[in-house]
Amino acid sequence: MIPVFLPSCNALDVDQDPAGSQVYLMSMSLTTEPPDDVPAVTEEPESKMTVVEKDKKEEEEEEEYVVERVLNRRVVKGRVEYLLKWKGFSGENNTWEPDDNLDCPDLIAEFLQSQTSAHDGKRKTAGDAEGDESKTKKKKDDTEKLRGFARGLDPERIIGATDSTGELVFLMKWKNSDEADLVPAKEANGKCPQVVISFYEERLTWHSYPTEDEKN
Amino acid sequence: MPTKNVVDERISKFKNKGKDPAKLREKRISECVELRKVHKNESFLKRRNLTLSSLPDEEALSSDYISNAMVTLPIEDIIRDVNSDCKESQTRGCQAARKLLSQERNPPLKEIVDAGLLSRFVTFLCMDDEPNLQFEAAWALTNIASGTSWHTQQVVDHGAVPAFIALLASPMLHISEQAVWALGNIAGDGAAYRDILIECNVVPALLARIAPDTPVGYLRNLTWTLSNLCRNKNPFPPVSAVQQVLPSLIQLLHLGDKDILSDSCWAISYLSDGDNGRIDVVVKTGIVSRLVELMSHEELSVATPALRSIGNIVSGSDLQTQVAVDAGVLKVLPQLMRHPKASVQKEAAWALSNIAAGPCRQIQQLITCGLLPPLVEQLRNGDFKTQREAVWAVTNFTSGGTVEQVVNLVQSGALEGIINLLQVKDAKVILVIMEAINNIFLAAEKLGETEKLSLLIEELGGLDRIEMLQNHENDMVYQAAHALIEKYFGDGEVVGVKVDSTDDGFVFNADVQGTFDF
Repeated sequence: MIPVFLPSCNALDVDQDPAGSQVYLMSMSLTTEPPDDVPAVTEEPESKMTVVEKDKKEEEEEEEYVVERVLNRRVVKGRVEYLLKWKGFSGENNTWEPDDNLDCPDLIAEFLQSQTSAHDGKRKTAGDAEGDESKTKKKKDDTEKLRGFARGLDPERIIGATDSTGELVFLMKWKNSDEADLVPAKEANGKCPQVVISFYEERLTWHSYPTEDEKN
Repeated sequence: MPTKNVVDERISKFKNKGKDPAKLREKRISECVELRKVHKNESFLKRRNLTLSSLPDEEALSSDYISNAMVTLPIEDIIRDVNSDCKESQTRGCQAARKLLSQERNPPLKEIVDAGLLSRFVTFLCMDDEPNLQFEAAWALTNIASGTSWHTQQVVDHGAVPAFIALLASPMLHISEQAVWALGNIAGDGAAYRDILIECNVVPALLARIAPDTPVGYLRNLTWTLSNLCRNKNPFPPVSAVQQVLPSLIQLLHLGDKDILSDSCWAISYLSDGDNGRIDVVVKTGIVSRLVELMSHEELSVATPALRSIGNIVSGSDLQTQVAVDAGVLKVLPQLMRHPKASVQKEAAWALSNIAAGPCRQIQQLITCGLLPPLVEQLRNGDFKTQREAVWAVTNFTSGGTVEQVVNLVQSGALEGIINLLQVKDAKVILVIMEAINNIFLAAEKLGETEKLSLLIEELGGLDRIEMLQNHENDMVYQAAHALIEKYFGDGEVVGVKVDSTDDGFVFNADVQGTFDF
């Protein structure tokens, strides 16, 4: 029977151990154990721990659980406890076990080593620079591209205007693109009025007109 | 009055005075702007490959869009054409499909797959007597393979792989290149397909395409595809394939084109991202000097993977690290540690931390080549991820360095730097810092100067921080903090009470930092 613990997770940081794999350190607090379960531990060689449980009918079920890794360490009421990853079980089933119940000195030593010794020192991959890497897949775009707003880009500013096509159009510079192209003024007025206003404002010039005196 | 009209007439001859302001403005707009000569009608009507359903309503109703949507075939017609027996129809249908699949927004990958066209496309790939058809089919399949894993799987499941590998040898360069591209997409999906391609002998077929007269565009695609064949772990690519690819990769690394250089460096970075055996295969090619050179390349797209590759290499054995040091990496690292881009700083600090994890002769080279000042700057000014790597560099340094080297480190300001980081939230970083402090005390012990060091740390505000850490929620942190206090800041003091400079036994020397020498 798998002892069931309801975790209240107190997550520490996502962390790397020197061996290079990600270690997500979670502290789980034990809830009260089911009243009729009395885990008793017998010592086994190497990294195994045997949990002996008695149920109501006083049958003894002996099952062996193998410790895969020691993940963390804490001291609770003066007792040293280790967080254990069990072989064959997912991380959700990690449990805190008292130090004196365990007989996996090599795994404990390995854990302590990883926590304290930086001088073995070499750490593989700094990790999360995935965004910089080259694309895994590439689509080949059509050589004749979409134009204007259909390109799905954001307007940056208007750099020119003409009505020689018969309607007023703007030459639009888009964000994140060096390729400007034409858009109908009507469309721009609706979709990016502020950009249009900026264009006109930049080109406003004020003129004074002759007063009555100057005319004579 | 007649006089007024004459006056008005005269005034209207002046450039601007007396003219209707609205008319003037209009004139200015049409006269004053410079435009490029664009074929406007053509460019308006050249809206390719839109289906009405993919447009918002107002755009759909615009006459421009409607007229253009009718230019491309609706899917039913495409299906009919592709499935026909007539070569012209097949080509027309396949081309129409290709154009749909190439549109900038929302290409209908799934629709084409669901229409059952893939097996036909794969058949077309094998029709050597119909190069146009081959090309369109290859392009269409390339774009489908560029989608999600599901899309790529559809392409592979319909038998495209052997057909594409065969197309690599096509006498038509653009068709061969398209095959290279498609295979790159398939390899990029993950280790499984990558290894299937390798099993199908894609590597020799690709390498055979490299010749002195191969156009740059082709080589760019080829290099990218090769990099995808080197990519991914769990498992790594087979060593035999790596051995095959490396000589060509080395060749490509000596070219000048930035895209080729970038993807070649990425390939090397994937190959060196493994155990020391993998690193060895790379180092033995002698490519390390060129990589160090490329770390200084003006294009970030080249420098970044070059830095990553070197970072991977110095995470290997001391010997492998020495190869990088001998190649001059220490001269290049400082400017990267000061790079405006945070991720570059971080990777540079990480590389430094691994070199600092080496033997003291390598640590000596760090000092000689002036790596300490930029390290201290990073501790002070770097963003958190950079600071974290810099902290590791300091701790590794204190762990492997001689007493003299540790003194050097303290004098450079690194101790102050790490003390200032004791207030971060990251418990692991705090632990690494405290280990550094511990190591520095060990060095001080050898000189009999632990008290001086305690004073210095107190002066730098470290004692306060360490005392506070005794209340930290992480038990390893508070235990380590407590141990430090007990051992080096004790002498019967009550834990947590701040030491006043007027208390007996402590001489508070304000100049301690400046004159401090172990």
